[in-house]
Amino acid sequence: MRKYDYFLDTCPGVGDKRKNTILRAVKDSKEIYDMSEKDLSGLLRPEIVQALLQHREKWKLEEEYNKLEEKGIQLVTLPMEEYPERLRRIPDPPFALYVRGRLPGEEQLSVAVIGARDCSEYGEYVAEALGNCLGEQGISLISGMARGIDGISQMAALKAGGASYGVLGCGVDVCYPKSNRLLYDRLLEKGGIISTYPPGTAPRASLFPPRNRIVSGLCDVLVVVEARQRSGTSITVEMALEQGKDVYAVPGRLTDRLSDGCNRMLKDGAQIFLSPKEFVEELSMRYGNMLTLRKTASDIMIPEGEKLSEQELMVYQALDLYPLPVEKVLEKLQRKKGAQAPEFSQVMIILMGLCVKGLIVQNTSGWFSKTV
Amino acid sequence: MFRSVLTGCLCGVDANIIHAEVDVSTGLPGFSMVGSLSNEVKEARERVQVALKNTDFDLPPNKITINLSPADIRKDGTCFDLPIAVGLLGCFGLFEEERIEGVLFLGELGLNGEIKPVNGVLPIVKAAAKQGIRECIVPKRNLAEGSVIPGIIVRGAEHIRQVLEFLQAEEEEKKGLLVTGECRLEDFLKQAENSCSLDFAEVKGQKMAKRAAEIAAAGFHNLALSGPPSAGKSMIAKRIPGILPKLTIQEALDVSAIYSVAGLLTEEMPIVTERPFQSPHHTISGAALVGGGSKVRPGAISLAHKGVLFLDELTEFPRSILENLRQPIEDKRVNIVRVHGSYVFPTDFMLVCAMNPCKCGFYPDKNKCTCTENELHRYRGKLSGPLIDRIDMYVETQRVDLRSLSKMEKGESTAVIRERVSKARGLQERRFRELPFQFNSQMEVQDIERFCHLEEKEKRLMELAYNSLELSARTYHRVLKVSRTIADLEGEERILERHISEALAYRFMKG
Repeated sequence: MRKYDYFLDTCPGVGDKRKNTILRAVKDSKEIYDMSEKDLSGLLRPEIVQALLQHREKWKLEEEYNKLEEKGIQLVTLPMEEYPERLRRIPDPPFALYVRGRLPGEEQLSVAVIGARDCSEYGEYVAEALGNCLGEQGISLISGMARGIDGISQMAALKAGGASYGVLGCGVDVCYPKSNRLLYDRLLEKGGIISTYPPGTAPRASLFPPRNRIVSGLCDVLVVVEARQRSGTSITVEMALEQGKDVYAVPGRLTDRLSDGCNRMLKDGAQIFLSPKEFVEELSMRYGNMLTLRKTASDIMIPEGEKLSEQELMVYQALDLYPLPVEKVLEKLQRKKGAQAPEFSQVMIILMGLCVKGLIVQNTSGWFSKTV
Repeated sequence: MFRSVLTGCLCGVDANIIHAEVDVSTGLPGFSMVGSLSNEVKEARERVQVALKNTDFDLPPNKITINLSPADIRKDGTCFDLPIAVGLLGCFGLFEEERIEGVLFLGELGLNGEIKPVNGVLPIVKAAAKQGIRECIVPKRNLAEGSVIPGIIVRGAEHIRQVLEFLQAEEEEKKGLLVTGECRLEDFLKQAENSCSLDFAEVKGQKMAKRAAEIAAAGFHNLALSGPPSAGKSMIAKRIPGILPKLTIQEALDVSAIYSVAGLLTEEMPIVTERPFQSPHHTISGAALVGGGSKVRPGAISLAHKGVLFLDELTEFPRSILENLRQPIEDKRVNIVRVHGSYVFPTDFMLVCAMNPCKCGFYPDKNKCTCTENELHRYRGKLSGPLIDRIDMYVETQRVDLRSLSKMEKGESTAVIRERVSKARGLQERRFRELPFQFNSQMEVQDIERFCHLEEKEKRLMELAYNSLELSARTYHRVLKVSRTIADLEGEERILERHISEALAYRFMKG
């Protein structure tokens, strides 16, 4: 049966909507494959009939499907029982899903974590803390396996022993971006890679917005960690709202452009994300049937620097999660302490000491930021 | 009749003394010139003949042979016109032979007999003085340049007729016939001491970058400034020559010789008194940068000798051009080989580079930087690895906003900073007096072990830094060299924690 589904799904010029309409009119895709031109013409518009016929001529039904199986790619289509319930409920669900690994469990709560690719240290930190917490609690983490927030949160969830699922904008046998190879391999092991595009499809910019629909479709709750005012993330949020999912946004500072999108979402009525712990507690109240908190959830740990000397603490507090140049640090110290502020060379010693202790990092020559 | 006249020709920034041998004999009339001559030297035949005719001296129809000896040295340039003309006049018996003994002639002739300026007078006069030649007659417009060399009489002439009158005159009449140059080398240098075109005080804010410039100047470390547009990178770079110690007489002469060869000295400013600052555009050709060309000329790196070579927008320079810099930075000189011989130009410069930190220029300010990580890597990848290895210090400048700019007080002046730099250099000179180099930046690994001794506390810090900051061995040594200079600036014999901490901040981060 699946080989006929595969045939139908790979037919060029036939979209998800159309496929679903066709399948409402006939029993299954085998019937379409076996139909004569005349019968097809009675059912479909001529250009679609042509497309189907041409495709049928070229398509090697058995061979192609065997290839798919050899690669360990599972084809799940809308009529099948395995098809994710969550996805079935969204408007215009995709006809076919290609899966390597597993699909997210229906009984398991699933949370999508999305955000900017070029995120800040702050975003990185929240993504990691959240991923870690979700992994610990056995909540599936859905994301796009992109650079930045996506990948960081997924990796953290896997490291914490959880399951994570990556929805790609290319074929499931293509690892994009290449730098996430390690994540890709671990997702195969402990979760799944999902795509609506046939194997071998190369990543293209136009393929990514539709994939966001699947990310939001597969989750129960969506968390936006960091987003600029206008970004791909906002598309996903729109889809999620359309699909009736809960949306959480991580608040940021007014002065950080990378938080503009999130702050705007909060104003528009998104739920506020205050800490991973609070977040999972809220989830357990709302989705009590799907989630029982395993143990006390891990939370954001900001190093308090109890072992720091007074001066070290002063310098540490003048720093931020964002990179700051030494001059700015000096300026801050002078404003706060006036004449008692340490000298340039003293500040340098303290900064380097903190670097060595691992409490801060030097981002580039003369710029420092707190590690979290 | 035969006469031999002394003259000189350039070879890189050095000069060779040449004998212009002139012979006039009976036979078929003709004018032939030999001795490994370039085209412009051969053209002297026409210029000399016509110039003499227009000075009321018609050459009789004789066989004239001219040989520029030694004949195996390639001769370029137009400075042989005057000595050839003098030799001819001597052959026709217009003055006694002993009048031109020990006198060197240089100059190009115009068709009316006028003597025009030539390049490279300074190094030729210098070579002449070294060989014990007592007197030089040079074009008047080159007189100032020639007369900075002590121990030799230099006279300037404007016309071939003046030269003839001078050679014919008796000793007591000679006075007043040709202008004699005075050696005013010290005056020029003293004058330069008071003048300072660009002051560091004008740079507001940028504490770290200014500090880095001072350290770099003190240890002659190569420096890279990175930062967003209009952060003051070029402003700082242009002021670095000012904080280097003033040129010594020897240095001034060496630098002036290069400028003389390049034809960049003027009558008003016959000697380079300030540290050079060369800032070639990134479209510069390889030959213009390191020197070369069919007639070999010094390139920008030689014109920056004892000064600063500033490469603005470093990432825009083609890699192939930058690779040319590797050997000159190491050897402090560049050897240019041509069919006719090899030329050596000194290139002891301090390299200062400026660049944007990323494509858009705002990294690491994530609020403004729109570059993706890939773009960042690609941008940094443009930097040539071997060149990066030769740069000891990196500093990130930041944009100062207009509001705080007006509030900020003026920084330290160039003179104050130079004072400190000179002191630090003094310490280095004493330290390295038995070694072939002068500056901390030139230390090799074994020298670093010898001169950058660390006490327990400091050793521990370096170890910690090496492990937790993931330094490479190369960076480790570089940090020590820079720490040495920072300690020298304080006059501190030992390298202390604070010196190391600061030096660590100036290391290159892959980003």
